[in-house]
Amino acid sequence: MIRRLLIFVTLLLTAAIFARLALNYTEHTQLSKLATHYAGQGPAELGAPNLVTAVVVTYRGLDTLGEVTVLFISAAGVGLMLRRRQQVAVEAEDKKPSSEIVVTAAQLLLPMVFLFGVYVFVNGHLSPGGGFQGGAIIAAGSLLLLLTLPGAELRQRLIAVTESLSGFGYVVIGVLGVILAGGFLDNRIMSLGTYGTLFSAGAIPIIYTLVGLKVGAELSAVLGRFRDTGEQ
Amino acid sequence: MGELIGSGIILLGSVFLFSAGLGVLRMPDAYNRIQTGTKATTLGTMLVLLGLAVLHPAWTWKLLILMFFVLLTNPVSSHALARAAHRIHTPEADETVVDQLEEEEQKAAAAAREDSA
Repeated sequence: MIRRLLIFVTLLLTAAIFARLALNYTEHTQLSKLATHYAGQGPAELGAPNLVTAVVVTYRGLDTLGEVTVLFISAAGVGLMLRRRQQVAVEAEDKKPSSEIVVTAAQLLLPMVFLFGVYVFVNGHLSPGGGFQGGAIIAAGSLLLLLTLPGAELRQRLIAVTESLSGFGYVVIGVLGVILAGGFLDNRIMSLGTYGTLFSAGAIPIIYTLVGLKVGAELSAVLGRFRDTGEQ
Repeated sequence: MGELIGSGIILLGSVFLFSAGLGVLRMPDAYNRIQTGTKATTLGTMLVLLGLAVLHPAWTWKLLILMFFVLLTNPVSSHALARAAHRIHTPEADETVVDQLEEEEQKAAAAAREDSA
């Protein structure tokens, strides 16, 4: 009885909260001043048809650097916590291998998944997607590899080098923006090219390629570490 | 006319998708459910994509790639699921008549025993 009453009261309170939100809601009929600037000047200033990318990579580039850092710290934290069982890699022999069908399909699919990930981050300034999404797709490819071929090993050192170099390159491009153009991560250190083509929008494709490599490498490393410590 | 044909193909595809959903609810055990959830959704999805290709001829190549992807991944993933279910001895429906994977594994086990003997 009391339980029912409590549920009822909770529902009422929740409804009250959302009712206030819904009643006070007035639709924006026009963009805010900042958004008007982004929408009006963005394509002309930065040469990127995908406005979201323009905002994420250049106008708000410093925030993106922060996000990449957060991801890096969490990956490093996972590595630190799951360190313990590094050497105990006997396993894998008593496990039944994946069936032939699964192995063949995975070998067919893997290159396509990686290619699609690259496509997504290389075209980040033209179409929906970008570094983080492409990196996540690449990590999904690594997960497919780890799941279907239990004997496979990720080359942790190669992954670590890729990740460090791309993170370093990202910051270098940011600093180049300060020196050569208007500020940190300004994409106009290179010519903007023809609007709407692959090689355009200044440094945005390069930045997003680096971000994509970094995110893909980080997430793959996390997955690999989970796999290595999960085998007990 | 093209619009009508495309919409018809999409409708046909959604009929298959609906029957897949119905099958997942109605079938007696895990293996049968996996089976309906694979065959019917593969055909249904491909028909929907085909209908879209008729509606928007400019998208044809991308949709073809999607179709290839569905055609490759859907059966393989359900194959892996069914094998995993079989390996942890998920119970079969009472009406099950034949289990060839079980027979094969027993044959292999018997051969291994003979070898060692």
